[in-house]
Amino acid sequence: MSQAESNKPKLLVDGKRIDGRATDELRPIRIVARVLNDADGSAYVEWGKNKVLAGVYGPSECIPRHDQSLYRSVVRCRYNMAPFSGAEEHGRSGPSRRSRELSKVIKEAFENVIISENFPRTQIEIFVEVLQSDGGTRCAAITAASVALADAGIPMKDLITAVAVGKIDGQMAIDLGKEEDNFGESDMPLAFSLRTGELLLFQMDGLLTREELQKGIAMAKAAAQKVHKLQVEAIRKVYEEPREERFLPVKGALEK
Amino acid sequence: MTEEKAHSPTHHSHSHQPESRIVMPGELLFDRPERISYAFIDGGKTYSTVVGLFSEGKLVPLEGPYEPLVDDLVVGLVTEVKFAGYSVDINTAYPAFLSSRETRERFEMGDTIFARITMIDEVRSIELGEARKLPAGRLVKVSSVKVPRIIGKKNSMLEMLSKQTGCEIYVGRNGYVWIAGKGNASLAEKAIRMIEVQAHTRGLTDRVAAFLKEEHGR
Repeated sequence: MSQAESNKPKLLVDGKRIDGRATDELRPIRIVARVLNDADGSAYVEWGKNKVLAGVYGPSECIPRHDQSLYRSVVRCRYNMAPFSGAEEHGRSGPSRRSRELSKVIKEAFENVIISENFPRTQIEIFVEVLQSDGGTRCAAITAASVALADAGIPMKDLITAVAVGKIDGQMAIDLGKEEDNFGESDMPLAFSLRTGELLLFQMDGLLTREELQKGIAMAKAAAQKVHKLQVEAIRKVYEEPREERFLPVKGALEK
Repeated sequence: MTEEKAHSPTHHSHSHQPESRIVMPGELLFDRPERISYAFIDGGKTYSTVVGLFSEGKLVPLEGPYEPLVDDLVVGLVTEVKFAGYSVDINTAYPAFLSSRETRERFEMGDTIFARITMIDEVRSIELGEARKLPAGRLVKVSSVKVPRIIGKKNSMLEMLSKQTGCEIYVGRNGYVWIAGKGNASLAEKAIRMIEVQAHTRGLTDRVAAFLKEEHGR
């Protein structure tokens, strides 16, 4: 971190954060399922200023064949940030060290819940495109991909829900935004299977004490319950308000 | 869905859920282990694996890939002509093969056929039989889980569709629907799309009938 300490804004003022949230408050989240015509399942998530599009294809024939398994379906994931998705280093196109890492951890999270034994010799592909980023895209990506997988009808043991938690100005807070991530002390993205309470993604930048970590996980889990509700609502809406055309909702289309 | 607002405390030992409800992957279905399809058992309890309609102890998926079974009648596209037979696309990840011995007809690449699945082996290679070429028409791809609704109870929906549009409609269990004949094929396609989107709702046959009548008058 070469950021001068003097550049650091105050992250917490009277218990309120930069964007006016409380420490246990999520950014506004909207989820729409089934937005792409040619994907088997898809979802679009707006999470604060993050905009993420997920598409799922499969099970389909696994190519190249030496990657096939006779026992299960191969899960693949591509997380990609659009070149226009944000400022600075995220502005470059193509896979970077970071996006390859995220593709890998997202894939591994979903390998825990997808019942891949049902489809030997096949592949299931998850594509996540970050259209706009503002900190916490991997959590938005996992949340979107989970809805897209359910929409594709791929058997899973649970929906995965992801929420980040971190430490800003010495206090634990959930769902860090970009400034909080950059200038905060610690950021910890977590993904849960809420049915069992298992952690399927557990990463951390910076340092936390044992107590802070435990408090953080509890806070994230409580917030994840709210995100899970939104995921379920989005999937339900596909059937409760059936629509023939699929579209990517533009600004305003998501308002209730 | 029926809107049963009454909280009737059901004590029937067999019927756990009095009405159908949409369930999510990981949602609890039974407090006890129960072997039903599209569900799994964990810690002595039964959970759903798919987005599905759960009613009377049965779980029907609302979406999902086609799972080929022996004796399914499918619509297929000939993708390759080989020495010993034909490779056929039947909307699965697995290769389907129609041996030349199984048929007297000759097919070409791009032909559409109607066939029966005769064998599936342990690594899911599929063999077809009883194949015949379909007359000129158009292909509509739908999700295979919606196929029972397109056919309807005792063929009711399909008969109505063919009668009202004047088309010959071949519905493959795999979700490929072939619309042939001299009738109003685009109307048939519209109606099939409508059924696909509203497959989980009640009173669908009546709504499709009204739609066909209205469109027919134009």
